[in-house]
Amino acid sequence: MCMDVGRLALARKSDRWFGLQLTAPAGVILGVLLVVPTAMTIVYSFHDVPANVGSLGEFVGLEHYAIILSSEIFWHSVWVTLVFATGFVVLSTVFGLGMALLLNESFVGQGVARALLIIPWATPWLVIGILWRWFVDGSVGGLNALLMHARLIEDYHDFLADPGWALTMTILAAVWRQASFAGILILSGLQTLPKELGEAAAIDGAGSWHRFVYITLPWLRSILITVIVFNVIYAFLQFDVIFAMTQGGPGDATQVLSILIYRQLFGVTNIGLGSALSVLLSLVALAGGLIVVKLVQKREGM
Amino acid sequence: MSSQRQIPVRARASRGKRNRRSLAMSIVFYAGIVLFGLWILLPVWFLVMSSFTTLGQLSVRPFPLIPDQMTLENYYSVLTGSTGDEAFGSIDVGARLVPAIGQSLLVSSLLVGLNLLIAGWAAYGLSRYPFTGARAFELSVIASRVVPAIAIIGPFFVAFRIFDMLDTPWALLISYNIFTLPIAILVLKNYFDQLPREIEEAAKIDGASRMLTLWIIVVPIAKPGLVAAGVLIFLEAWGEFFYALVLTNQLTVPPLLAGFQSVQQFNWNTLAAATVMSMLPPIVLAFVFQRYVVNALTAGVGK
Repeated sequence: MCMDVGRLALARKSDRWFGLQLTAPAGVILGVLLVVPTAMTIVYSFHDVPANVGSLGEFVGLEHYAIILSSEIFWHSVWVTLVFATGFVVLSTVFGLGMALLLNESFVGQGVARALLIIPWATPWLVIGILWRWFVDGSVGGLNALLMHARLIEDYHDFLADPGWALTMTILAAVWRQASFAGILILSGLQTLPKELGEAAAIDGAGSWHRFVYITLPWLRSILITVIVFNVIYAFLQFDVIFAMTQGGPGDATQVLSILIYRQLFGVTNIGLGSALSVLLSLVALAGGLIVVKLVQKREGM
Repeated sequence: MSSQRQIPVRARASRGKRNRRSLAMSIVFYAGIVLFGLWILLPVWFLVMSSFTTLGQLSVRPFPLIPDQMTLENYYSVLTGSTGDEAFGSIDVGARLVPAIGQSLLVSSLLVGLNLLIAGWAAYGLSRYPFTGARAFELSVIASRVVPAIAIIGPFFVAFRIFDMLDTPWALLISYNIFTLPIAILVLKNYFDQLPREIEEAAKIDGASRMLTLWIIVVPIAKPGLVAAGVLIFLEAWGEFFYALVLTNQLTVPPLLAGFQSVQQFNWNTLAAATVMSMLPPIVLAFVFQRYVVNALTAGVGK
């Protein structure tokens, strides 16, 4: 008996060792690729790094952070990022839910419609940016053509050169992709919803709105959390779509933080300042990441 | 999977019992479907029509839904680079699309192979042989999804310059692991968690080693999960733009397309043809394997 327990403990220990061995390659690769560059970026942010990064340059302490936090350009960029993120998360989630509800009903052509949902999701982010950049273009644009066909406008309007419209258009372009992704996930959640629940409620006299609020939404809770988490992540890290459509312009109307950092690092090659900005964005992202983890744990605790 | 197939049957059975949609509801519903179709298809339609039309047609206002003049010239141009007319200012630009497609395919496929191996091991280890800290490792893998590429690209650039690896597929093959490995690990871990353990335990009793069990028993039954992870890795790598923009000189398709945009003489109809071609591989792949991918993405969500 005693020996069995001993052998079992030994087997468990060897099992744990085997698991560690299996995980080690991935762990080492991710550790090296993530930890070393992150540490370097933090070091850069405290130095006046020369543009060729031949040396670290002069140590300047927190100077870059002080410059950033007192800079109007930075706070404007934070504002643009927040507006973009809010519009993106809300519209992607709502459109995604709407599309999933529509495609969950049975109708002729349902299969085709569900296949259509795949297209935006499978299209690379940059390609979506290019596609929408030209779709809303002021000289060849398809959107302008449609609005003119419908007699809603007199002549073409250059939406991306208009500071009042540019951000909205980048949000719509990004939502075009993300809403499909949300729709795909939510639709698969709806398909597992037992019809009996709705039918029982209908017999008890619940209208379709009540069935939606008290049966469908609670059923989708965990999938909606996942979708929103994904949407938040993509909102704060978005670069490709805005880069392809406006590069942050006109002026700084669409200059989200990732574009601002890109301009600092590779436009004016201010490595130190750009690195400090990156650290700040990472802190925001890290806070987001911790919230993600908390939500995941909470979900699994249910 | 099988429960999903049953749903149409159940839906049909229940329709008899439930009240039919009222006329007003039907109108709202079909209006919604039409809106949905327009929302997805209009941008794509505009892209495809642009890619088949001539420069002259592009400047017609308003641009017709179906252009009068259709041509394959744009595709010919971007594939060969030899235009013979005014389609673009620099022949060099067009001739680079095919090599870029080759590089994109190379990087994406190699990455799929490497990541399935490395992430497969890790996911299996995390699922079946959890060690001290396994949960913490998994959580940090999840959290790593939010690290902005822009925050780590500077040191990458410096390191690849020191090792003289800028503008090579190696630079991408290495850096892409930052986002493809976590996806693959998470998808496969979820998948392994769902697989029944009995067969593996039977193999163990029969005396098969743990590694042999993984290769002979687990890999064959985990194929759907491996396919899903492979497709997701390919899609991410194929569409990746930021690292390729910074670390290479338009080596793969996305930075090349972005480069086309900044060439003054490069016209939208030609760019549209290149864009259509860059969309085809991921869309075809997603269509063919959509069931695997959707199942993998939603696996574990309902826990």
